Amino acid sequence: MKKALSLLIVLTIIFVTACSKDTSSGGNESTASNGANDALKVVLLIPGTLGDKSFFDAANNGLNEIKQKLGADTKVIEMGTDQTKWEPTFNDIASQDWDVIISGGSQITELMNSVAEKYQKKTFINYDTDINEVASNVYAVSYATNEISFLAGATAALLSTSNLPHANPEKEIGFVGGMDIPGINAFLVGYIEGAKYVVPDIKVAISYAGDFTNPGKGKELSLLQYKSGVDVIFNVAGGTGLGVFDAAKDQKKYAIGVDSDQSAMMQGTDDEKANLIVTSAIKKIDQVIFNAVKQMQAGTLTTGKLEIAGLKEDGVGLAENNVYQNVLSEQIRTQIADLKNKLASGEIKVSNAMGMDTSKIDEIRQSVKP
Amino acid sequence: MNNFMHLLFSTDFAFSVLRVMTPILFAALGALISNKAGIVNIGLEGTMLVAALTGVITSAYSGSAWVGLLCAVLSGVIIAALLGFFTLKFKTHIILGGIAVNMFASGGTVFILYLVSGDKGASTSLKSGVLPNLHIPLIQDIPVLGPILSGHNVLTYVSLVAVAGLYYLLAKTPLGLQIRAVGENPKAAQSVGVKVNRIQFISLLISGFFASLGGAYMSMGYLSLFTRDMTAGRGWIGIAAEAVGRSTTIGTFLSALLFGAADALANALQILKLPAELIGTTPYIVTVIALMVYAISESKKKKRKLTKAKLKETKSS
Repeated sequence: MKKALSLLIVLTIIFVTACSKDTSSGGNESTASNGANDALKVVLLIPGTLGDKSFFDAANNGLNEIKQKLGADTKVIEMGTDQTKWEPTFNDIASQDWDVIISGGSQITELMNSVAEKYQKKTFINYDTDINEVASNVYAVSYATNEISFLAGATAALLSTSNLPHANPEKEIGFVGGMDIPGINAFLVGYIEGAKYVVPDIKVAISYAGDFTNPGKGKELSLLQYKSGVDVIFNVAGGTGLGVFDAAKDQKKYAIGVDSDQSAMMQGTDDEKANLIVTSAIKKIDQVIFNAVKQMQAGTLTTGKLEIAGLKEDGVGLAENNVYQNVLSEQIRTQIADLKNKLASGEIKVSNAMGMDTSKIDEIRQSVKP
Repeated sequence: MNNFMHLLFSTDFAFSVLRVMTPILFAALGALISNKAGIVNIGLEGTMLVAALTGVITSAYSGSAWVGLLCAVLSGVIIAALLGFFTLKFKTHIILGGIAVNMFASGGTVFILYLVSGDKGASTSLKSGVLPNLHIPLIQDIPVLGPILSGHNVLTYVSLVAVAGLYYLLAKTPLGLQIRAVGENPKAAQSVGVKVNRIQFISLLISGFFASLGGAYMSMGYLSLFTRDMTAGRGWIGIAAEAVGRSTTIGTFLSALLFGAADALANALQILKLPAELIGTTPYIVTVIALMVYAISESKKKKRKLTKAKLKETKSS
């Protein structure tokens, strides 16, 4: 009994000292940085975890840029996928002395708006949402996924009708989506319109995996598309989409990446695969976040309404990497650049599937049915 | 409709059935052997994930897909051993143990992937190995069967051999007899000197072995990389396949094949522009139909037995 008690006491002491040491050192650090300058304090709340090679990593890159170029004090907090933990974290952070609180995603929007209303003096940035209601001190951004998909579709159609080594004579391109939901169909509709703009009689094979973490399914669906005559597939399916690239390598056909430069991430480890991913449709989340904070410092940031980041605002773009330069002919690239200018200037208008009637989307899908 | 028939009776489709079936079959065999020993291993999904990641990492560092496979199998067996250690030695409930394995695997694989590659989503920055596809010399020349049976990944053939191996083990060997005895009535088995814990432990190890092969197939055969939660429920479908197969080796194999076919069909149907939501239900509808057919035939059998028994009664009285 005595032994157990002394052991307990020793353990408690160790625990307490370990903890207190931790907090004191952490405290020192923060006071040191606080004392050094009166820098802008920016915090990024990730509703998930870093390392997705997409949204969250891009947001983190933007934060790093803010730290380096604007000299701000920054911190990133991964809130995890458990949504019940988001609200307490949000409230905690909002009650501390952060100047700018960044987070993003449609799921976070409602929470962010309600917290922002409670903390009127702070600025909030929602870097990716589709919801129109925005609190007065929130800078909310939606990306023109339809515009960038339009370019991806045009690229795919031009590639399919070209005489590139892995292109076949059939005028057929493919699309593998994660789920049949508005967010994904926004890509699809832009993709179809872009393809039809350059090749009016193009056919588009469309599959949905019904899952964002099933690369096996993504591979099966793409194999079927490639075998039915498709020579390039645009994937908008998260982790499932990685299976599309495997299928592309298998069948020696082309693919188009999404969200981040997915060719760059394979380069060095699997060049054969990387060289088949001709381009990627990118949301420039890092740029959007950086620009927002920069504007805020300059006092020109307009909050309270949903901003659309399109080609004009440099919020989206195609990955014009070395694969894009090497694989696609100059003729195709100039055509794409021309389309890009037309989209940016508003000469070409792309429909937006967000809020579009399901029957209308279905009509568009049927119109390009192979 | 013509298009549909063309699709369904193409060699490509039959080929894809075997390809889709492989991970399900491995998981189902893992479920079968553990169920036979009366210890339900629901940690198959997690074991597959761990093996998938281990295979990718070790093959990337060793430069050999075969070393990767070996390590993947080892990792799966170790997970099963841990599960066995806690459930058999410390009497943790096996379901809790299985849940723990699954949760650990889902989070732990991402953590380890992050430590090794700096990524949390996929192993694209690792140059991992892929197990070869086999073209079988004589079979590949047979007209229709050749393109269906030849050219699969080596692990697909291993899965088919494993069915025969497991059948032999359970039906013909002393160990198999002991496993079945322990599963049916552990106390009776113990009373005749069978070491129940040891037999259950061995069954769990074999279960982990099969699951790890399924995992290795996912990341080193089917696909060439690891992504978070990439098994996407195949371990669970394997457990379902074992249940639909009524815990018989042949039944399990056939139901795994059925699940594979339903899944492949669901993929193929997408090309036909049927609503995606409807197509997504195909595997489940097939399962329900299979269960119904089974239940009907089973109850008919019972009725026949009953009437026979009644006839006997009336005769004897």
